[in-house]
Amino acid sequence: MEKSTDEILMSKVANGNLDVLKILFERHHKHVFNFLHKMCGDRMLSEDLTQEVFYKLMKYRSSYNNGKFVSWLFTIARNSLNTHFRRVTNTYDDLDGLDYKWVAEEEEKKDFSDLHLAINRLDPSDRELVILNRFQEIKYEELAEIVGSTPGAVKTKVSRALKKLKTIYFQNS
Amino acid sequence: MDKHHITALLPEYLDNLLSERQRKNVAAHLKDCKVCSQELDELKTVFTAFEREKEMIPSDKLRTDFFEQIEQEKQHSSKVVSMNTASIHRKNNWATNFLKIAAGVALLVGVYFFGKQQQAQRSGKEIAQLTDETHAFKQTAMLSLMGNKSASKRIQGVNFIAEFPEPDEAIVSALADRMLHDENTNVRRTAVEVLSEFTTSETVKDSFIKALKTEKDPGIQITIIQVLGKMQEKKAAAAMQYLLEQDDTQPYVKEELELVLPNII
Repeated sequence: MEKSTDEILMSKVANGNLDVLKILFERHHKHVFNFLHKMCGDRMLSEDLTQEVFYKLMKYRSSYNNGKFVSWLFTIARNSLNTHFRRVTNTYDDLDGLDYKWVAEEEEKKDFSDLHLAINRLDPSDRELVILNRFQEIKYEELAEIVGSTPGAVKTKVSRALKKLKTIYFQNS
Repeated sequence: MDKHHITALLPEYLDNLLSERQRKNVAAHLKDCKVCSQELDELKTVFTAFEREKEMIPSDKLRTDFFEQIEQEKQHSSKVVSMNTASIHRKNNWATNFLKIAAGVALLVGVYFFGKQQQAQRSGKEIAQLTDETHAFKQTAMLSLMGNKSASKRIQGVNFIAEFPEPDEAIVSALADRMLHDENTNVRRTAVEVLSEFTTSETVKDSFIKALKTEKDPGIQITIIQVLGKMQEKKAAAAMQYLLEQDDTQPYVKEELELVLPNII
């Protein structure tokens, strides 16, 4: 069981074996958390959203279509984050263009690495691709599934995003 | 290929994702192109930074919270399976609640009627007591009236008995005594009339039969004969026969007797 693929485990969850979800949680919660943290820079929010992601995984387990588990997982994570920021920007309409650029407090910024700071200066869509591709080691095919694009297009976008990031990174350091 | 920069392929080159042919091409290009090799060096630095980036560890609360959610979901799912028992349970609850209310209402009504009955019983007793007292009083009055010297007072006393729905033996015998032995014809006649209301009593019947023999007043004789005729009292036949045979019996009394006798026998 411990060595089964994510897909086999998830199909067990879909069939009602909820305990298997614990294995998937142990395997992936850090990735989800780190993705969210890199995206928003807010530790508490990232934890809340990570829990929400796995809760949705459980809640909508029956809608799992036996596709790539990681794609599904990060699609949910991405949507949760988008929903959160849409809600926040709707609530604070005046703070135009808040987007999800930089939520973390100034103090917390000190704890971020140069790389993290550089990543935060990318557009959300570029940031997302870079984080998923570099940190989560998600392949282009799955990345395409997550963002709703083709592997070729994603490859190009990632490459360009990395170039932008590299530029920002070397400007700072 | 060699004439163009290959920066777009560098990430894949570093990740070893290129095909053998592509990889060779890129490697060949990098040897000649300073721009691209510098690009590669920078990208390597960035990639190293990525590798060095510390992984953030979320708090344990995340795990405990989520595992708790799993347990809740399990209970929820099992609840779905045992939906019927749950609804039955709810129904039972509803039923017991209903029973509780019903019992409360029943108790209230019960107590109300119990109290009412108690009250009725008590007042009933009081009324019965009062009625008894009135009857006793009337009885005493009647009995004393019947002993009065004045014939009209005695008639008044006899008439009192008509008010008794079920007179006791003492009254009936007092009345019978008046009918048999009173010196005044009117008193005797009134007694006969009143006694004819209580023909179910054996004492009354016997008194009538006795009176038939002793009574000399033809009017009263006829009244008694008529009452006995209505009663169809067979025991009276002998007395009537006797009266019929007496010489001093008035002819119209005899006629009455001859009329009534066949009906009795």
